[in-house]
Amino acid sequence: MKRPAVLLAVALLLLSLTLICYRIIWLKYPIFPAAPEKVWHLSIDAYVKGGEKETTVMIGVPYTHKGQTVADERIRSGTLSFNLLREGLNQIGVWAGILGLEGETIGYSSTIRVQPQRPSKTKSPTLEPYPPNVDKEEQALAKRLVGRWLSLRPEDRLRRVAAAVKGIWGTPPSDEQDLRAWSSFQEKHGRVTTFLVLLRAVHLPARVVQGLQLAESIANSTLTWIEIWTGQEWESLHPEKGEIYQKPVPLLPLTTNGLPAVRVTDGELSEVRWTLTRGIINQWRIHFERIMRSDRLLDRWSLFRLPEEFQRTFRILILVPIGAFMICLLRNMVGFPTFGIFMPVLMAIAFRNTGLLYGLGIFAGVVLIGYIVRRWINKLRLLLVPRLSVILTLVIISFMVFALIGNKLGLRELMAVGLLPIVILTMTIERFFVITEEAGAREGFWTAAGSAAVATITHEIIHFEPLQLTFFVYPELLFAVAAVQVLLGRYTGYRLSELIRFRKLKGTS
Amino acid sequence: MILKTNSWLHQFGILGMNRRNAEYIMRLNPRSSFPLVDDKLMTKRLAKAHQIPTPSLYHVIEYHGDLGGLEEMLSDHQDFVIKPARGAGGSGILLIKSHERSSFFKPSGEALSWTDLTYHIFDILSGVYSLEGLEDRTLIEAFVHPDPIFAAVTYYGVPDIRIIVYRGVPVMGMVRLPTQESDGKANLHQGAIGVGVNIKDGTTSTAVHHSGIITHHPDTDHLLSDIQVPYWKEMLHIAARTFDMTGLGYLGVDMVIDRERGPLLLELNARPGLQIQIANQAGLLRRLELIDKASAEIFPTPETRVEWALKTFAP
Repeated sequence: MKRPAVLLAVALLLLSLTLICYRIIWLKYPIFPAAPEKVWHLSIDAYVKGGEKETTVMIGVPYTHKGQTVADERIRSGTLSFNLLREGLNQIGVWAGILGLEGETIGYSSTIRVQPQRPSKTKSPTLEPYPPNVDKEEQALAKRLVGRWLSLRPEDRLRRVAAAVKGIWGTPPSDEQDLRAWSSFQEKHGRVTTFLVLLRAVHLPARVVQGLQLAESIANSTLTWIEIWTGQEWESLHPEKGEIYQKPVPLLPLTTNGLPAVRVTDGELSEVRWTLTRGIINQWRIHFERIMRSDRLLDRWSLFRLPEEFQRTFRILILVPIGAFMICLLRNMVGFPTFGIFMPVLMAIAFRNTGLLYGLGIFAGVVLIGYIVRRWINKLRLLLVPRLSVILTLVIISFMVFALIGNKLGLRELMAVGLLPIVILTMTIERFFVITEEAGAREGFWTAAGSAAVATITHEIIHFEPLQLTFFVYPELLFAVAAVQVLLGRYTGYRLSELIRFRKLKGTS
Repeated sequence: MILKTNSWLHQFGILGMNRRNAEYIMRLNPRSSFPLVDDKLMTKRLAKAHQIPTPSLYHVIEYHGDLGGLEEMLSDHQDFVIKPARGAGGSGILLIKSHERSSFFKPSGEALSWTDLTYHIFDILSGVYSLEGLEDRTLIEAFVHPDPIFAAVTYYGVPDIRIIVYRGVPVMGMVRLPTQESDGKANLHQGAIGVGVNIKDGTTSTAVHHSGIITHHPDTDHLLSDIQVPYWKEMLHIAARTFDMTGLGYLGVDMVIDRERGPLLLELNARPGLQIQIANQAGLLRRLELIDKASAEIFPTPETRVEWALKTFAP
C-alpha cells in the first residue's frame, strides 16, 4: 500500500541529492550558499595635477578571473574620461583629459572575492628572454653558476635559486671568482633582476607582479613580487626576503609581467592611496557573477539568468511550497483548521508589500467589516454569485478607504495592498460567515486564528533570505520538499487534535 | 504524554481522520461513484431500483420559474420537506408542517409567506447550499413523522439513525437526536446528540454532545441510554444493501423511522464522520480490521454480512 509513495519520495530525494552533489563536486558550488562570505573592498584614490597637454593616468585594477571575482566596480573620474583597457594579462583603468591648474581627484573601488586556489590548467608559459639591461657576459655568468641545477625538478630549482640569492650556494662550491662577480652584479641590478636572471638561467618562467598585501591596510605604494611557474602553478616569491609565500597566497595582484601599477603621462600624481578593508558582500551578487561566467548546462539554465525583475518574484515563489508543506503539517498532523486549503499561503504572499503586521491588520479589518455586512446582506437573500460580487466590491471599497487613511497618516503600508488579496479576502469573508453560522463563533475564531498563524509562519519562511538564496542556488531542493510532501500524504496516524478529541474515551474503558 | 495517548488510541482501535481518508475512503470509494451519494435525487432513484424504501418524492424543481407543478403538489399534500439535491450537512432543508392559503408553517410554528418559500427554492437552485456553489435541483418530499419511540429525547425535528458500512458489513451505529441548539437538525457539529447503538440488539448506550459524553438530553432531561431502536435488524439489512447499490466500500448510511412506513433511507455519505466512535465508546479501526481478516464466505449477500456482524460486534 505505502510502497509506491515511499519509492516516489525516495526517488525525488535522490534526484535532489544527485543534482546538489553534482553542483557541489563538479560545478564547485558552495555547500552553504548563504554562509556569510568575507570579501575585500579595494579603493584606489589619487590626486592628479596636469600640465598643458592631455594627461593620462593608467592604474592597474583587479579583474575577474579564476581565483577571484570582482564585483560592484565604481569609478570616480571627475572631468576626466574613463576607459578600461586590457593589456596582456592586465586590466588597466585609464583616466584621460586636459586638467586645469586645479587638478582632479580620481578613484576606483570594487569588491573582490578571493576564492581558494584551484589547480589551474593554464598551459605552461613560454620562457621569456633575459631582462634587456643584462649583457651577454652576465648571462653566461649566471648560466655557469646555476647550470648544474637544470636537471633538478622545478620546485627544487626554485628553492636553490631562492637560497643562492641569500648567499647560500650549496655544494659543490662554485668558483670563487664567479661568486665575487655575482655579488657585484647583484649590487648593480638589485634583487628583482637578480632573481629574474637566475630563474631564466635555470629555465623557470617568471614574471614580476605588482599588487597589494591582502590585509586591512592603507598603502601609498604597491608591493612587488615575483611569480614563478613550476610546471603546475605559479609560486609567489618575496624578492627582498627571498621567501616563497605559503598557499593561499595573501596577495592581490594588480599588474603582471613587469607592468608598473601606476603610469602617468603629462601630469603628476600625488597622494596615491590603496585601501583594503574586509567586508561582507551581497551574496546574490556573488552567485550571479559565478553563474554568468559559467557555460555549464545547469548554469546556463539557472534562475540567476532571468532578468532581475523576474528573479525577485521567483525568490518568493520558490519558497511557497514550503508554506504549502506547513499547511499539510498543520492540517494533517496537528489538525488545525484554516480557511480554504492554501488561502493562508496566498495571504502570506500578499503580505509582501504591506509587511506582516499591517497585512494581518488589514486582513482582520476587512474580514470583520465584510462579516458584518455579510450578516446583514443575508437578510436580502441574494443569490450566490451576485452576493460574492457585492462582497468583492466591499473589499475594494475597504482597500480604498484604508489607502486614503494611510495617505493621511503617512503610512505607506496601508496603501501597498496589491491586487492579489481581493479574491482571497472575498472568499475568506464568505467562508468565515459560513463557518460561524454552521459551527459557531468559536469555530470561526479558531479557523481565523489558524489561518493567521499559518500565514505568519509562511510569511516568515518565504522572506527568510538565507533560505531564499539556498533554494535559488539549488532549485532542486524543491524535489526534496515534494518528497516530504508525498511522505506526509501517506501519514495515516492520528492528528494531534484527535488525541485530545478521543482522549475522553480513555476514562471509560 | 502525546506518545502515550497516541499508542493508547491505537490500541483502543480508534480510527483517525488521516487513516480514514487514505486507507478507507480513497481505497474503497471510487471517485466516479461519489455523485451517487452526493446527489440525493440520484440516491433516491438508485434506492428505488433496489427496493430500498425512501421518503416519497413529491416533486422536483430544476429551473428558475418552474413553479407550475409546485402549486398542484401543494393541493395534494399538507406537509412536506424542501431540500437541495446536493446540500451538505443538512443545510438548506426546510420543513413545512402545514399550510393554508399563502401561509406555510415550520415545525417551530414560524410562518413563511409564499414569497419566502419561492425565495428559498431559488436559493437552492442557484447553489447557495451546495458546497461547490454549483447550480442545484430542489426536491420536495414527504414529511417524515418520526416513530414516537424517540419523542421523549427529541426537542423537535426528526431523529435519524446513522450506520457505518464497511464492504457491505454494518460496523457501528448511532442515533442522532436534534436539540434546540441544532435547530431540529440531526447534525452533530450543529449541536445534535449522537447516541451509540449496540449492533447486536439495537439498544442505545452512551451519548456524545459536542464531543463531551452526556447521559441525559439537554433539552428534555430524559435518559438517553437503554432505548430499544425499532426495526433495528431491518435497518442493518438496508445499510448492508447500500454497498451492492453504490459499490462504495466505506459509507455512512442515514435512515429515519417513519411512524407508518418504518425505516426509510434518507441519504448516504461517502465521508462519514468519526464522532460515532465517541458515542459508541469503541474504535472503528478494530472492527474494520476484523472485517478485513474475515473469510470470504461472509461477504456474498447482505444477509450473510449482517449475520456475521451481529455475531462479531458484541459490545
